[in-house]
This record gives sequence, C-alpha cells and structure tokens, in this order.
Amino acid sequence: MTEANRQTLLASLPTSFDLGPDWLQALRTQAAAALREQGLPTKRTEAWRFTPVRSLVDSEFSRDGDDVPTLLSALPEGVTVRGLAEVLRSQPELLHGRLDFGGPPAHFAALNTALFRDGLWIDVPAGSAVETPIEISHVSPSTSTPGVAYPRVLITAGENAELTLIETYAGGSAGQLSNSVVEVELGRNATMKHVRVHENAGLQIGRVDVRQDADSSYRSTVVTLGGALLRYDVRCLLQGKGAECQLDGAYLTDGDDHVDHHTLVEHQAPHCISGQTYRGIVSGKSTAVFDGVVIVHRDAQKTEAHQENRNLLLSDTATIHTKPHLEIDADDVICSHGATVGALDQDQLFYLRARGVPEDFALAMLTYAFVESIVDRVSHEPTRARMREALISRIPHGDEIREVT
Amino acid sequence: MLKIEDLHVEVDGKPILKGINLEIEAGQVHAIMGPNGSGKSTLAYVLAGREGYEVTKGSVLYKGQDLLEMAPETRAAEGVFLGFQYPVAIPGVSNIYFLKAALNAIRKHRGEDPLDAIDFMKLSKKKAALVQLPDELTKRSVNDGFSGGEKKRNEIYQMAMLEPSLAVLDETDSGLDIDALKVVARGVNGLRGPDRAMLVITHYQRLLDYIVPDVVHVLINGQIVRTGDKDLAKQLEREGYSEVRSASQP
Repeated sequence: MTEANRQTLLASLPTSFDLGPDWLQALRTQAAAALREQGLPTKRTEAWRFTPVRSLVDSEFSRDGDDVPTLLSALPEGVTVRGLAEVLRSQPELLHGRLDFGGPPAHFAALNTALFRDGLWIDVPAGSAVETPIEISHVSPSTSTPGVAYPRVLITAGENAELTLIETYAGGSAGQLSNSVVEVELGRNATMKHVRVHENAGLQIGRVDVRQDADSSYRSTVVTLGGALLRYDVRCLLQGKGAECQLDGAYLTDGDDHVDHHTLVEHQAPHCISGQTYRGIVSGKSTAVFDGVVIVHRDAQKTEAHQENRNLLLSDTATIHTKPHLEIDADDVICSHGATVGALDQDQLFYLRARGVPEDFALAMLTYAFVESIVDRVSHEPTRARMREALISRIPHGDEIREVT
Repeated sequence: MLKIEDLHVEVDGKPILKGINLEIEAGQVHAIMGPNGSGKSTLAYVLAGREGYEVTKGSVLYKGQDLLEMAPETRAAEGVFLGFQYPVAIPGVSNIYFLKAALNAIRKHRGEDPLDAIDFMKLSKKKAALVQLPDELTKRSVNDGFSGGEKKRNEIYQMAMLEPSLAVLDETDSGLDIDALKVVARGVNGLRGPDRAMLVITHYQRLLDYIVPDVVHVLINGQIVRTGDKDLAKQLEREGYSEVRSASQP
C-alpha cells in the first residue's frame, strides 16, 4: 500500500496527531515540533559531520506501509512478541514511558518516533532465560520508486531475564531508505546478546538505544557488509550499579559505500564496565566513519571503560574518519581508548609467502584474520558460522580461505 | 644445489653484501658465522625473496635456475625454506591452517594432489613430535603468544612439514637455552639427508656443536673472509672475529 504522493522526509510530517494514547500523541507532537524547528541534520551538525545526509533530506520518498520487521524463527518459550499498533490500541499503558528514549529524541530518531505506524514488542519477563535466539529481519522492498520505512522495535527484559536477538537489515534497490529504531530496556541482572547484520544496506539509518539497570549485561556484535549510505548509532545508558556493556563491530566497505558507526556509552552509575572494539576493512572509493564516545558521570566511580577502533585501509582512494573519545568527570576510573588506520603488515605477508602461500591468498588470509576476531565473540555457533561466511564471501579470494578453514 | 656468484646487495642505497661467492652441494650443511651487522640476515632474506633488498650485481642459481627472478612463494614451492630469526606473530591466522594452505600450494606446484584434512593432521602430529611442539600450539594463531623457544621450534616444525631441498636457518639458536637448543638441533639433524642442503647462519659457535657443519664460512663486512671445516668455528670461538679478520688480511 504505497502512498501515491511522494514527499520529502520533513514534508511528510503531519501537523497534528490524533491516534493512539495521549502520551504518544504528545510524544509525536514534540518530536515533530523539534524537527520543524531544527530540521534534519546537515554537515554543520557535529555528530553528522561526515554523513552525507543531504541527498536523503532533499529526496522525495513515498511511504511504504510495512514498518514491521519479520519474525524469522519460531518463537522460543518464555518470550512474547506483540505488534506495537495492537498493544497501543488495547493496552497502551504497557508502553507508556517506553518509546521515548528517556528523553526527547532528535533528528532521524525523532522522525521515526513521529511517523512509525507499527512495530514489534519483544518481552522476556523476569526470571525467564531464553537460550534460543530470536531472529527478526527487515528487508527494504525492491521497487523502483524511492520509498521510506520506519521499523520500530521495543525489547524489554525483566529482572534476571536472558535473551539473544539476531537482527538482519537488508537494503532493497537503490533509493529505499530504512530509518529504524530499536529500544532496549534491561532490568536488574538481565542479559542480552544482540547480533545485528547490515547486508547490502542500501540507505539505512539505524538507532539502538539501551537502558540498563544494575548488574545487567548487554553485548552487541554488529557486522556491516557495505552500504550506499549506512548510519548506525548505538547508545548504552549504564544507569544501575555494576552494569556492563560490550559493543563490537566489523565493517567491510568497497566501491562507493559510505558506512558510519557511532557509539555512545554513558556511565551514570558506579562499578560499571564498558568495552568497544570496532574493526573495519575499507576498500575501493568507500568511506568509513567510527565515532565513539564514552561519558563517565561524576558519580560513576570505579568505572572501567575501554574503546578501540582499528582500520585496514586497502586502497589509496578510500577514506577513514575515526574519532574515539572519552569525557570523564569521575576521578577513580580505568579508561583507555585508541584508534589505528593502517595497511596490511608486510612482515606478516612475507612470512606467509616465504612458506609458499601465494600472495593473493596470503592477502586474503590476513584481511580475514583482521575482522574474524570480532565475529568470534558471537557465542551462538550457527550465527557465528553465518557471519563468517558473510565476511568470507566479501573478501577477495575468500573462496580459498573457505577451503582451508 | 645453490651457487652464489659475486653477489652484491644494497639496502636503502647502502651496500651490505659486497661480492659473496658460495656453492652448496646437495647433502651438505654449510654454516655462515659473522658478527652483528656483517650481512648474515641480509643474505638469508635475499635468498628467500624479501622486498627492500636490491641486488646490484651477481647471480644466485638454485638447481640451475635463476633464484632471484622468482617470487617468494615460488621459491618456497621450488623447495627453498627460510627459518626466521624473528618469526612474526600473526593473530587470527591459525598455524595449522596456514601451513595446510602452504603445503597444498607447494604440492600443486609440483603437480601433486592436495593432502586431505586427515592425512594432513597425521603428518602434523608426526612432525610436531619431532621438535616436541605441543599439539595445542600447532592450532593456535601463528607464533601468537609463543615463547622464544616455541617460536623457533615452530620454525623447525614448519620446515619438517614442508620438507624443503634448501633450508636457510637464520640464527635459529638466538634466544634459546641449552635444552631448547638441543631440541631444535635434534629436529634439524633429523632432516639432514642426501637430497637436502642447509645453510645455517649463526653468531655463536655453540649451535655448531649440535648441528655439525661440513663447511664453515666467516662473513665480515659483507664479504666471506675465511672458509674452512668445523674446526674454523672452534677457532673463532677461541680467538674472536677480530683475530680471524686480521689473519685473513693478506
């Protein structure tokens, strides 16, 4: 049910919202007002400096009706999945305060908040430990008319709950924009493993927002396999004492890809641990951006925070912007950050060749080894195998690697 | 097997090797001894085909072919092996998986079928035992987190796997205690044979007590100044390089 009239993203904002509970109408009105006032980001917006959003902002899109990600796996026991639209109709009070990021959203997330029609609510109640991964995917359509979708997912995990979520976002034909938001709420001592794959991402703006109570654990592995324009933001708010998050990512870019990964970890409570390891292989004329921020609030003593971004630059025409940074207001903390951009190690290459490995094959081995360690952290074996295969299939001479692994 | 004639090599425009002549027959073990900076490692790297070493004069024939024309992997496929002085660590590339790739590339070059996984593992177990390399280390990333001794044993294990015709061992003894040295030497001696030649490069005579060479050369300032039998090594140990150098002056 594609709407016939095409509009630019901002022009598609209604002036009033009259469906759903009052709090949602208020939230949407607020988001729309902020967007009208501030507009969508430009190159002058610091956090969007390297993201070429202009083409998106000025383009016309038609609205595709289907914003709901598809549930791929049979639902494991101990999990409920409901449609957001249905819950907003029948039990809106259950969602009150859960779709607002704990503060007014900005930019593309605000646009999603104003315009999403439906979505998924995945709930794992207190004490429920779900081992089988929950798999969802959102695939942009392959139509010739430029279209936009606003996928929306809410994950809630109660005290001591455990879950693994595997998300796949796949781009359709050129000109299809997916502007998605995933909100995660982890109760005390809850554990979530989150695997996210961006395949042929097309035009994608994605936002993951995690709020963590005491002793909860959030581990995320994102694998981005190219993208005409991909911008992925993940924010973790460590709100309860002893919470931990680990954000890992691997990105492979080639051709004219533009891939942006932004992280923000806020240590708001003491004794929390956060780690970030992102690795990229950047080829062709592509551009990759890593922008990672760790903020340690004044009361967040005994914080441990580490951040690392390493990049392999495989062509002279590719570009990498990397900017890991820390803002620390507490005094009793252990923090580290670092970034590297480099070529393949010539000593390693020579070692492999001197043993008889042909040069192309040796290059492939070293390239693959650079990102494999990220995928190795995925504990669910079938998923890990799938991600390995996805990486291998994109590395030159990957076929030969497949034969010997 | 190997014939080096009047070899001159520069690194960054600086002459390092200044006219090396050396001939090694199949079945022989030659030792090259020399002080630091004499050009020992340069010779090893030139033979293995490392970039950054410019041959300005001379030739190297290996089994009658021009070795210097070959890519490093072709040299390996033709049977040349370099045991590195400082084996590089390669996190993320497993020892066994890269060796399988290397061995099968070499077999392909020779027109042989690749080894399947089972035969390869059998061979690996046998060769690892030769240098007492724990099975677990063969599966880890190449040299990653290995001790100095483990790295050197890994080099000899790889040599045993690849069964080269010409092995160039660059300071295989450096960083080894006496027990590790014996293990490595036993591994090397196990690979001596009538079809295989070895060039053992070392700073100290100690290694040559365990790997007894047929011929000993003394390399000083880019030139071979003395050639003799194993007793020359003993003389060097007693008298030092400066004595041998001055004795070699006409």
